[in-house]
Amino acid sequence: MLQPNTKSKRQREKYDVVSNLIVAFFAILNLFPLYWLFTSSMKNSSDVVKMPPDWWPKTFTLSNYFEVFESQPALRWTFNSLYVAGLSTVLLVITSSMAAYAFSKLQFKGKNLIFVLLISSLMVPKEVMIVPLFRIAQDLGLVNDLHGMIWPNVATAFGVFLLKGFFDSAPDALREAARIDGAGEVRTFLQIMLPIVKPGIGALFILNFVQVWNDYLWQLVIGQDREMKTLMVGIATLMQDLNPNFAYKMAGATVAAIPMLIIFVLFQQYFTRGISIGAVKE
Amino acid sequence: MKLRNPYLRENITGYLFILPQFLLFLLFIVYPIIEGIRLSFYKVQYQKETFVGFDNYATLFSDPVFFKSIVNTVIFVVFIVLLTVVFSLFVASAVFDKNAKYVSFIRGSYYIPVMVSMVVMSMVWSFLLSPANGLISYMAREMDLSVVNLLGNKNTVLPVIIFVTFATNVGQAIILYIASMIGVPKDLFEAAEVDGASRLKVIFQILIPLVKPTTIYITIVNIIAVLKIFVVIQLLTGGGPNNASVTMMYYLYNNAFKFNQLGVASAVGVIMFIITMLLSVPQLRSMFKDK
Repeated sequence: MLQPNTKSKRQREKYDVVSNLIVAFFAILNLFPLYWLFTSSMKNSSDVVKMPPDWWPKTFTLSNYFEVFESQPALRWTFNSLYVAGLSTVLLVITSSMAAYAFSKLQFKGKNLIFVLLISSLMVPKEVMIVPLFRIAQDLGLVNDLHGMIWPNVATAFGVFLLKGFFDSAPDALREAARIDGAGEVRTFLQIMLPIVKPGIGALFILNFVQVWNDYLWQLVIGQDREMKTLMVGIATLMQDLNPNFAYKMAGATVAAIPMLIIFVLFQQYFTRGISIGAVKE
Repeated sequence: MKLRNPYLRENITGYLFILPQFLLFLLFIVYPIIEGIRLSFYKVQYQKETFVGFDNYATLFSDPVFFKSIVNTVIFVVFIVLLTVVFSLFVASAVFDKNAKYVSFIRGSYYIPVMVSMVVMSMVWSFLLSPANGLISYMAREMDLSVVNLLGNKNTVLPVIIFVTFATNVGQAIILYIASMIGVPKDLFEAAEVDGASRLKVIFQILIPLVKPTTIYITIVNIIAVLKIFVVIQLLTGGGPNNASVTMMYYLYNNAFKFNQLGVASAVGVIMFIITMLLSVPQLRSMFKDK
């Protein structure tokens, strides 16, 4: 039973069968809100509120999507989100791979203390300090500026935490060989060590990109003009929109959902691995 | 750069490598914490700051809405985290030894809501629960339930938010448990099977004790995530009805960005900061134990 491949074809236990039926049932049920989102977004404005509802749309229309892109700067929002999530992640990969390498392979005074300090900050969500953080952004002229959304995300110690484990398991012998060949520390880092931790960088890239893409509160307070909003924040404003057409709102939500669904389908392996790496470090 | 002293040289190299990350850490994490603590003792009006001692904290603790926000946050943390741990243990222990395709289907369908984000899921749920046009309200009417507007009733609003948050985020815990259970050595199960132990017994006596570190991790990460619960409140209820669903983060946000009470908002932030620090001690301890 616990060994699906064993030859001893004992009957599956009742509990095993029943529990898996329940799990599979809820797995499908859990997708229902998304099914409702997609189908509603393609109904016309009267069908979408019809009771009893059409479980499957009678007519399909894309007009709600056109309306989202015509009445809202949704393309601009998408670009903003890509820019913020992309640049945050690239910067984070650079700074944290450098730092993780140093914490793992180099010797310097105060190393352990600094590392403990950094890691301790992992559990503090930046939102609890949003008032001083916002004032810093004001002082730096970063309010209503996409870069204001970026920098606090690069400050997280998550990348250091994740990558240090990868550097730790890279053999020291490679580093020494490079040194004997006369390579300096920077070259050793770039040409020998970075390629080894590529899987870690892949995981960090994906996880952080999604994290920043779906981040909400900080982007809400920084992006104040309509043109400066990110996709999540902009689409959320449709909820307060006076337009009573729910199909239009659902089309907006679908637009916000699709990029992440694509990323998930393409990179599912990275997610499973990346998320687990973070945790299985006891 | 030629430095004769190799010890000094290695030190400097190390510092240069951590410098960018460390500067960002100082500017965007350490400094805001110190500044937040300082601001919590001040009354802030535009550029003018007046020291008021513990007045902001006194204001907070005499505000019934703040108490409500603490009680609600605690209720959310307790119920959402409990539901998440119990349900994801149930799911993971049921599927972890099945074939890879099935496991990845289960993992995927529970994780997709996490991916599409709380914003999108809140919008869908808000449509489903909308009193006039929502599917759930329609079904409640059809079944003659006494409450149709689940978000507008102070007795049902908390359970609904608990459920929506749980259903949206449980996928993360499921992925973690499955990974951790797949890593349990197979011979332990074989031994139990030889002894004729039932599957439930195996789950409770072998699996659950062995994945305890994962349980601790999931518990802490989720507590901290729920502590700052905001999106679902803003998009589903706006803290209502009559502050029945207000949370600490929502209270902080309103004070800071709606009522312009920066000192009071900072004091809420400091209280939340202290809570997260206290909660993360066990996690940090377990992370450094293997050092």
